[in-house]
Amino acid sequence: MRKAETAAYATRTLRCMLAACVPMLAAAAPAANTSAPAANTAAGSAATRYTLDAAHSTLEYQFVQAGARNKGLFHKFAVTLSFSPSALPQSRLEVVVETASLDTGDQDRDDTMRSADLLDVAQYPQARFSATSITRTAAGYDAAGKLTIRGVTRVAHVPFTFRSSEQQGRSVGYLAGKLLLHRLDFGIGQGEWKSTDGVGNEVTVSYALQLLPAR
Amino acid sequence: MRIRNTTARWGAFAQLLHWLIVLLIITQVILANIALDLPVGVRKIAMFARHKSVGLTILALAVIRVAWRWMNPTPVLPDTLRPYERTLAHLTHVALYLLLFAMPLTGWMMTSARGFAVSWFGLFQLPDFVPRDKALYEAMRQTHDTLALVLGATVCLHIVASVKHHFVLKDDVLRRMLPTKETH
Repeated sequence: MRKAETAAYATRTLRCMLAACVPMLAAAAPAANTSAPAANTAAGSAATRYTLDAAHSTLEYQFVQAGARNKGLFHKFAVTLSFSPSALPQSRLEVVVETASLDTGDQDRDDTMRSADLLDVAQYPQARFSATSITRTAAGYDAAGKLTIRGVTRVAHVPFTFRSSEQQGRSVGYLAGKLLLHRLDFGIGQGEWKSTDGVGNEVTVSYALQLLPAR
Repeated sequence: MRIRNTTARWGAFAQLLHWLIVLLIITQVILANIALDLPVGVRKIAMFARHKSVGLTILALAVIRVAWRWMNPTPVLPDTLRPYERTLAHLTHVALYLLLFAMPLTGWMMTSARGFAVSWFGLFQLPDFVPRDKALYEAMRQTHDTLALVLGATVCLHIVASVKHHFVLKDDVLRRMLPTKETH
């Protein structure tokens, strides 16, 4: 390569990089969790009603971008749980996620994920899971129900483990698990994003929730 | 042509590494420029992924190159060089070697700090070099950009010097990095 070309390329590289990175200077939205009021469903007296301790709960996701596993999380989500291992028929689980609260640590990427071709948060501000039955499994529990993301509702089985412990005189619940989803099942990826070359179809959602008994 | 270096000329393996890295650096400049011009999308991700994979390849080749240089004789500079030319030649070469490491390392730090994991051509994933950190990302991006300009300038100096050796001084400094017949 001639030196004039090299110099021109180098100068151009710097200019392009600066231009491309200006939008990234904007700070990420501050973390603020919300928790829903306790379930008011027809839970039996044997199932304990819980509210989310948002400060000690995480809802994360992993996806493959350009061959590498990348992580993100949702800052805002509400969980309504009525649960008791001994009263599974009366147990209920509902999760509502504010899709715009997604955060992968990069403003450009987050804005792209919020756009119409991906999560389309303007049109579909919430993703929702409503369990219709909770059953025991070898590893823990299975919440079967309807999962709605980007306006598409599909039957989903959300696996989780649950344990509770006494802390300062009250019972604190811990719910955790992982769910494998395929983003294209929910239309997350229109246009060129239907391709799974750059961003894989599989998305692993991980949840670790701390729950406090509802008063 | 010998595989190993002699004090008179570079061996085949050193030449292969030199010219392979030249090609990869040119590829890097092109990939970076294409990627930066693209709107956010699948193609931009793919271009940057290639840029990162090629960068990691250069880093690995740089390690091999330094090791090979250390295990081999180094061709000596012609006696006709003035002391300042000798010093300039050494400084240029040291700078080029340092940049072969600094460019990929700052790039890797930049992408890790931004929270983008890196894979090598999708075959395996590298660990995050540094934790996610916006300020560090900005610092590394500026360093990577600046070093790209420094690399461009240093390469120019390197090319001008080799051309001067070949056409003005008429010595074999350029020829001994080319797969030509040995003249002596």
